[in-house]
Amino acid sequence: MEVQKEAQRIMTLSVWKMYNSRLQRGGLRLHRSLQLSLVMRSAREVYLSAKLEEDEEGRLGPQPCLGEEGAGQPPLQPAAAASPGPPAPEERAAPADRGNAPGAVDPEPMETQDSSGDAPPAAPAPGAGRRPARGVSLPPPAKASRKRRSSSLDKPGAAEAGLVPTKKARLEAEEEEGERQPQGQDGPFPSLAKVLQTRFSGMLRGGPPKGPEPTPGCRPGDGVLSILVRAVVAF
Amino acid sequence: MEGESIYEVDSEDGVGADIISTVEFNHTGELLATGDKGGRVVIFQREPESKNEPYIQGEYNVYSTFQSHEPEFDYLKSLEIEEKINKIKWLPQQNAAHSLLSTNDKTIKLWKVTERDKRPEGYNLKDEEGKLKDLSTVTSLQVPVLKPMDLMVEVTPRRIFANGHTYHVNSISVNSDCETYMSADDLRINLWHLAITDRSFNIVDIKPANMEDLTEVITASEFHPHHCNLFVYSSSKGSLRLCDMRASALCDKHSKLFEEPEDPSNRSFFSEIISSVSDVKFSHSGRYMLTRDYLTVKVWDLNMETKPIETYQVHDYLRSKLCSLYENDCIFDKFECAWNGSDSVIMTGAYNNFFRMFDRNTKRDVTLEASRESSKPRAILKPRRVCVGGKRRKDDISVDSLDFTKKILHTAWHPTENIIAIAATNNLYIFQDKVNSEMH
Repeated sequence: MEVQKEAQRIMTLSVWKMYNSRLQRGGLRLHRSLQLSLVMRSAREVYLSAKLEEDEEGRLGPQPCLGEEGAGQPPLQPAAAASPGPPAPEERAAPADRGNAPGAVDPEPMETQDSSGDAPPAAPAPGAGRRPARGVSLPPPAKASRKRRSSSLDKPGAAEAGLVPTKKARLEAEEEEGERQPQGQDGPFPSLAKVLQTRFSGMLRGGPPKGPEPTPGCRPGDGVLSILVRAVVAF
Repeated sequence: MEGESIYEVDSEDGVGADIISTVEFNHTGELLATGDKGGRVVIFQREPESKNEPYIQGEYNVYSTFQSHEPEFDYLKSLEIEEKINKIKWLPQQNAAHSLLSTNDKTIKLWKVTERDKRPEGYNLKDEEGKLKDLSTVTSLQVPVLKPMDLMVEVTPRRIFANGHTYHVNSISVNSDCETYMSADDLRINLWHLAITDRSFNIVDIKPANMEDLTEVITASEFHPHHCNLFVYSSSKGSLRLCDMRASALCDKHSKLFEEPEDPSNRSFFSEIISSVSDVKFSHSGRYMLTRDYLTVKVWDLNMETKPIETYQVHDYLRSKLCSLYENDCIFDKFECAWNGSDSVIMTGAYNNFFRMFDRNTKRDVTLEASRESSKPRAILKPRRVCVGGKRRKDDISVDSLDFTKKILHTAWHPTENIIAIAATNNLYIFQDKVNSEMH
C-alpha cells in the first residue's frame, strides 16, 4: 500500500516536472525529459505490480501478503518504501488516503493544460481531466473516467479557454483502437506515452467494473492514471 | 592545499547570470578561462614568478573579460536559446595569440585573444588623436615608430559555427591534429574544421527513426589526446563508446563499448538516472578514461571493456536519499571530473561546496571545502568529513545538514602543477599545493 502510494507520488511528481521543464528557458531538454520518463516508467511498473497483487488478493480474499509483495517488487530504497515493515492488509487502506491521492494529484495534471502552445499540440484532450475532480474529494469511482471525458467537451467556453484542444476526437479514437501511436513529434518520452496508452486504454474503455469492488479507493487510482496518460501524451 | 585566491563577480541583477558554468585551463596552465550563465567569458592569467616577491608568484589575475554569447530566439520553434556557456576549450597555441572555443546550446564560437602593448606614433597624415591633419601643415615626412603602451588585451570572434545542432550542445573537444574539433549534442556529434564554418560532418547519429524508441542520449564526448582518429562518447545509460574515424565516415558503430553491468541489489526507481555519465575525460597518457556518474567516479582502461578498473564512491551516503534528491532536482546535477597532470589523482565536486580527491596509488581520498572561511590566502585547507550515523567527530557534518544548493559541478586541474580551480556557484576558488611546488 505504501509502496503503491509512493509510486503514485513519484509518478505525479514526474509529470509535474515534465510540465515545468517546458517552461524553463532554453526549451525542453531531451536528456531531462528522458530521465523523467524513465523514473515515471519505473514508478508505474511498481505501482501496477502492487496494484495487480492487491487485486488478486481482493479476489482470493484477505490473506497475509507479505511474502508475495515483498518478493514481487524490486527492492526499493528506504525512502521509497515508507514503511519497511510488511505491507498493511488492504482493508486497512483508508479510503480517505486513496481519496486524497486523486484530490492531490488532480491539481497537477490540471496545471498541464495551462501550458501554452509551444508544444506541438499532438496530444488528445488533457483538458478532459480538469473539471470534475475540483472540489470533489472522492469522485465516485465508476463515474470518474467517464465524467472527465465528457464534461470538458460540454463545458461552454472550454474551447476558448484552451481547455479542450482540437484533438479531442483523436483521444477517443485512440482509446477505441488502443494501439494508435501518439503523433510522432520529437516528444522525448513517446515510448512511455505509448505504453501507458495501450496499457490503460483497455481500462478506460472497459468503463466501471462490475461486481463488488474490493475497495472504493481502487477506482480513483484508475482515474488518476488516465489523467497521467493524457498529461504525458500532451507533451 | 592552500587557499589562494577567490574571485567573485558581483551579480547586479541577482538572478544568477554570474553562475560559473565552465572552467578550463589552457595547455600550459598560464591561462584559466571561465564561462558563466550570462554568456560571459573571464580569462585569468598567472602572474610570472618573481624572486623578489615569492609570496605573490603564481597568482591568477583577471586578464580579459568579454561577452561570448547573447540570448537568441529561435522563431521557428518559439524557443529561447540560452546564452549560458556550456563549455570552453583552448586551442593549442601556435603563435603569439591564444585561441579558444566557447559554446552555448546551439552555436560554437572561436575567439582569438591577442595582446597589444605597443602603438604606432608619429603618423604623417593623422595627429595624436587620429584626426586628419591639414595637409598644408605637413612640411616634412617622418617614419611612425612603435612606442610602448599599457597592455591591452583584445578578444575578437574569428569564427562562428552556427546551425550545426538541433539539440543542445553538451561538449566540444579539439582534436590533437589542431585542425578539427567535434561538438556533441544529445543525439549527434559533428566534426568541424576550425577554418570552415558553413559545413560540418556528422560522425555519430543515435537518433532513432522513431523518436518513440529513444532510450539513451549522448552526455559527453572527447577526442583522444594523442590519436587523432579516436574519440569517446558517453551515454545516459552509463556506457562509453570508443569510435575510430578510420573505420567509416559515420561512427555509429563503436569500436569498443565500455559498460559495467548494473548491481541488482542497488535497484531503485532512480537506478537508471543515477547511472547516466555526466562527464568523461581521457587521462593525459591516453591509456585511461575517467567517468563521473551521480554517485561515483570510475577509471576505465581502454584495453578492458567489461568493467572499470577502479571505482570511487563520491558520496554514497546519498544513495538512501535519492527520492528527496529527485524532488529537489539535485539528482539531475551534472558533475565534472578531472585528472591531475600525472594521472595519479582524480578530482570531482559534490554538495555543500565539498570537492573530493582520490589518490589512485595510495587509495587515499580527501574531502575539502571551498568556502571563504577556509580560503584565506595561504590558509591550509582542512579535510572535512561527512558522518553517516555512528560516532560523530567534532567538525563532522551530518548528511542532513548538507547544503544541496551549494554544489561544485565544475572543476579543473592545471595541466602540470598542483593548482586547481573550483567553481562554486558564482565564486571561483584557486588552490595551490605549495608543498609539492618547486618554489620552496
